[in-house]
Amino acid sequence: MGAVIPRLVRAEWTKLLTTRVWIGLLLGSCLMVGAFATLFTAFAGNTDSGIAPVGTSDYEQLALAVSANATILFIVLGIIGTTQEYRHRTATPTFLASPHRGRVIIAKLVAYALAAVPMALLVIAVDVLVVSVYAGAKGDAPSLSGDNLRVLGGAWAALVIYTVIGVGVGALLRNQVGAIVGVLVYLFVVEGIISSIPATQGAYKWLPGGALESMTATFSGTDLLEPWQGGLLLLAYGLVAAVLGTLLAVRRDVV
Amino acid sequence: MRLDGAVTGPAGGAEEDEISSARTLARDPVRVDVSSLTKNFGSVRAVDDLSFTVEPGQVTGFLGPNGAGKTTTLRMALGLITPDRGTATFNGTPYASLPEPMRQVGAVLETAFHPARSGLNHLRVYCRATGLPVSRAAEVLDQVGLGPAGKRKAGGYSLGMRQRLGLATALLGDPAVLVLDEPANGLDPEGIQWLRGFLRHLAHDQGRTVLVSSHLLSEVEQTADRVVIVGAGKLVRQGSLAELRAGSAGSVLVRSPQSAALVELLRSTGTTVSATDGTPDGVTVTGMPIEEVGRRAFAGGIELHELRTHTSGLEEVYFRLTAGSEQYAAGRPDTTTVTGQGAS
Repeated sequence: MGAVIPRLVRAEWTKLLTTRVWIGLLLGSCLMVGAFATLFTAFAGNTDSGIAPVGTSDYEQLALAVSANATILFIVLGIIGTTQEYRHRTATPTFLASPHRGRVIIAKLVAYALAAVPMALLVIAVDVLVVSVYAGAKGDAPSLSGDNLRVLGGAWAALVIYTVIGVGVGALLRNQVGAIVGVLVYLFVVEGIISSIPATQGAYKWLPGGALESMTATFSGTDLLEPWQGGLLLLAYGLVAAVLGTLLAVRRDVV
Repeated sequence: MRLDGAVTGPAGGAEEDEISSARTLARDPVRVDVSSLTKNFGSVRAVDDLSFTVEPGQVTGFLGPNGAGKTTTLRMALGLITPDRGTATFNGTPYASLPEPMRQVGAVLETAFHPARSGLNHLRVYCRATGLPVSRAAEVLDQVGLGPAGKRKAGGYSLGMRQRLGLATALLGDPAVLVLDEPANGLDPEGIQWLRGFLRHLAHDQGRTVLVSSHLLSEVEQTADRVVIVGAGKLVRQGSLAELRAGSAGSVLVRSPQSAALVELLRSTGTTVSATDGTPDGVTVTGMPIEEVGRRAFAGGIELHELRTHTSGLEEVYFRLTAGSEQYAAGRPDTTTVTGQGAS
């Protein structure tokens, strides 16, 4: 049934575009990234802030990597993509249209990954625009080449992959509020603790936060994977969650 | 083949004649076979070895009190709930194995919509998922009389409008089988009238298989050709409404001060005579026409105070058949033990 998946992918896009969730999250991401880029540039070269001055590669990579902060909103996009079916009970018509529930999850993974591609590009464009204009005004706009481009590519890939993780986590947990709160607590609290305790520090690079850092890191202060390894690891987290979700949660009775 | 019926909305009038003008018998008839379906939820046996069939070209009422297992049965038939045992098939194929399920079976279950999505967009989602042209969304919306509200958010719909949107979703694929779970909930009297005509049209004129559940006999009595009655997850009775009525063959009620003598006169084979509850001088006669009872009394010179037929209505038959099988029985109004409310 090769033709079924593209149909379901288009159905997911229709679902995505017929509510305003994506607009809110995209605008939120752009605002957040624009604000970070502005702040980092404003304090560039300020000795108290510790941010390198405009024109240095340290500053440029730092300012161009702020897009990665929007991963938190992109993972929420993915989570809502799956959990809305349960929250609004549309799982019933969705699984009536496609009784093979695994196909629905595959379609969601594909649909959200592809939808995240242009959304992530826009977020990065905002970052580049703000940094170019503001840093340019302060004397030296960064060039979009070499390591700078690698940082942008890493942030872009991270945004797309985090959306995929969101779909997988949503499939596993099914409860929208629970999944979002759980992910926030994990990323901001649990990983912070793990990375700061010496005994568990070694594991950090294998965790989603560490893998994300490897994709966008500008200093190699901590022990991290190579960017491509980090990307693959993150993707694996997303797919494992989706497979487990399909096997353990999505197959359950829809009553 | 589309459902190009003349039905456009709930507007009253002579629906029946208009509806039957569009005669289309273009699809293969599909028979639904439910066989030994069983499902336990924890220690509760929701559906217990339930078997019945649903024939094409007819409206079949699926009746039972709240909590009798109707919804669970329908959801098992549609692959949403995995049965512990048993199967449900559409011309021999389980729902999940149908190549294009929404084009063969349309289902109206609970009203499930994203509140922020418009009715039209809701339908477009399932057009895409089923590979139907998106123009089909507007068609079915008009068909259920919801066209003007199509662009409004479904969250703002009334219960009746939601039921119509659910029906429109089921009709998208122009299916040969329609399964509807309590579709009359929330419809106003006009809407119910319209729904009845619409379902009859789909079954009688278009040859579709229509299975419609309800906890109220009166809701399906005027629509259904056959009924399947369940109680406590078990099959209580299946058959045509006529058969069900015959099972409740009317009786004759006679009241006479000489009731003992009357009983003697009425004795004959195939007739039962019994004392009537609540009236000391009354007897109930079954198996004898009222004219014959009157004739015999007159011939025997017996004084009568009352002579009338007593047809225990379908409602009473239904009530008797399902008595005691409610999952949650409320206490009597004059007692204080109210144990709960039913849910299906």
